[in-house]
Amino acid sequence: METDTRGRESQALHERARAMVRAFERGAAPPESFDALAVDLARFQAQSVQGYARLCAARGVDPCALARAADAPAVPTEAFKLASVFCFEAGHATFTFRTSGTTAGARGVHAMRDVATYDAAALAFGRAMFARDLTAPAPFLVIGPAEVEAPDSSLAHMCALFARSFGAAEPAHRTFFVRAGALMVDDLRARVAALDPAAPVAILATSFALVHLLDALGDDVLALPSGSRVMQTGGFKGRSREVVAGDLRRLAARAFAVDERAVVGEYGMTELSSQLWEATLVDARARPGVYVAPPWVRVVAVDPESLAPLPDGAAGIARIEDLANVDSAFAVLAQDRVRRVDGGIELLGRAPGAPPRGCSIALDEMLGAGGVP
Amino acid sequence: MSRSVEERTADVGRLLAASRAVYADRARIAPQIARSTGLSLEGVLFGFSCLERAATDSELRSLVDAAGDAERVHVVLSANAFVAPLRAMAIARAASTRVTVRPSPRDPTLAVELERAARDDAIAIVSDRDVASVDRGEIHVYGRDETVAAVRARARPGVTVRSHGPGMGVALVTRGAGVAEAAAAIAEDVVPFDQRGCLSPRLVMVEGDEARGEALAAALHERLEEWGSRVPRGALAGAERAQATRWREAIRFAGRVWSGAGHVVGFAPWGSAAAIPPPGRHVQVASLDSLREAAAALGTIARHVVVLGTDDPARLRGAAPRGARVVQLGLMQRPPLDGPVDRRSI
Repeated sequence: METDTRGRESQALHERARAMVRAFERGAAPPESFDALAVDLARFQAQSVQGYARLCAARGVDPCALARAADAPAVPTEAFKLASVFCFEAGHATFTFRTSGTTAGARGVHAMRDVATYDAAALAFGRAMFARDLTAPAPFLVIGPAEVEAPDSSLAHMCALFARSFGAAEPAHRTFFVRAGALMVDDLRARVAALDPAAPVAILATSFALVHLLDALGDDVLALPSGSRVMQTGGFKGRSREVVAGDLRRLAARAFAVDERAVVGEYGMTELSSQLWEATLVDARARPGVYVAPPWVRVVAVDPESLAPLPDGAAGIARIEDLANVDSAFAVLAQDRVRRVDGGIELLGRAPGAPPRGCSIALDEMLGAGGVP
Repeated sequence: MSRSVEERTADVGRLLAASRAVYADRARIAPQIARSTGLSLEGVLFGFSCLERAATDSELRSLVDAAGDAERVHVVLSANAFVAPLRAMAIARAASTRVTVRPSPRDPTLAVELERAARDDAIAIVSDRDVASVDRGEIHVYGRDETVAAVRARARPGVTVRSHGPGMGVALVTRGAGVAEAAAAIAEDVVPFDQRGCLSPRLVMVEGDEARGEALAAALHERLEEWGSRVPRGALAGAERAQATRWREAIRFAGRVWSGAGHVVGFAPWGSAAAIPPPGRHVQVASLDSLREAAAALGTIARHVVVLGTDDPARLRGAAPRGARVVQLGLMQRPPLDGPVDRRSI
């Protein structure tokens, strides 16, 4: 009975989250305030997830008496590796996303009972920031694996979703160019060579895959049709040589013969259901490196020791409130450093591990640099 | 000209005598070490109790055997647990009649004091020697992975680099151990160097159910509270405090936290992972059904484990990660002077 009640409450909260997404798509005002939905999510999650109830109690927070999202504790991403962070019985999960493995082997788990809210949020903001001007289905070329090869990767799910929803219906071998862990450079060359020069295309790539591709291409150029764009996401995290963001943007623009402003960064995490995007493709005033959140997401830089919010312009740890995270944790404490600036959020890299004092191992060394969503 | 084992042992013996002299003079140099390490003065004086001042003949023989033979040895020290220079210098001296030591710029005190007290012409302190200038023999480098990699990258061809990277300790409490006794012994292992040594336990695995694990965590919290009043924790760096905050929040979610003025103990059932806390007297306790589960669980972090402390070393020796010392709880910070503390690369 209680499970049924929780299930109905969950569905109602999902519907409220999707209503916010639909309002954004229509250009309408949100049907309710951010805080109104956030505090209901916090209460629901504290009632459904023992860990969150403990976290609230330890912080002296009564989830039933919350008035503002900012007062609800954020769940550190590490908790997704240690404990269940979902509001339903494990058997009811329809999708389970996992962070990539680390040196220590632990993977964070983000289970979803209803993936429709994730999909709606990703499509709505992805369309707005990356595909708004595509008047016809465009070829989407993913420098990554198909979903069937990486069924627990939220990024693979999102890329497949974009290719399916924004793209022309194409078979997998014409869409996904990482197969069995190998980058199919020659297949990609052939695919690009056969493109209609009058129809723009979209490339979706992780940063490390992009670096591998650029290394493989050398001085070659895979010229894309006019109006094409490139999405790059994720850090490097020990999986390829590291290239600073500005250089990667420049190199990718040269390799695909597109404007640098058409190389757009996307920021997402396995532990979230929504993404942030650079706005350079849709806003002539937007600065590269500044990421914009959809209206159902708030990103606040917090002090890494006290977790108190910091003023605009100050660098801190990202506390991300995502109203589409209905059945897990609407407030997540990420491991990335951010700074709120005019127009959005700057990403400043991973939070450092314990400092080099003594010969005890630092967390960074033990865990590697973290996971790739 | 190669020295006999007896000569090498005697050379190491002179360093041990120097260690005793430095120990006797510890009140004078402790404030300087406190400033450079961030430890409290009481923490430095307690840390001195871990400085090796004696060794049996068989231990020295083992050290000499492990040291090998080198024409010259250049030792690159990091800001290790502050007593670590003695062992590093002893190994180098056992290996060679020409030893240069580059102390950590941040924490040079003990190396300098040992060299001064040893009055051994074979050992010289060099504060700024570039490893690329070492043209023969060996370089012994202690420190983080980045430091080791940087030294390897700059070392000349033909120069052997022996590295001793960072690590951590794990305590394992078997079903047969008394909770109170085990907690007391583990606290004694946690306090030295505020857990910044590679022998410091940061993870405690308790054989038994969750209630037993929680009981151990609560008892450890009490023991660390007592220690804190006698040997206060020193200052933590900002990044250590930030890591501690994240770890504490994650453990609050996954289990239960006991916070003291200078320590935090967390308990969480063993899931798919351990949340390894940062140094600074932060300990995660986890319960496991059986030792077999412990060995499997350690598998994910095994390569970082330098020492396994347990109430039953004989039973666990075979289950320990490769190269890890297996010692009695309470003695994790006091390995005999029988070679490198870190045997993972041997």
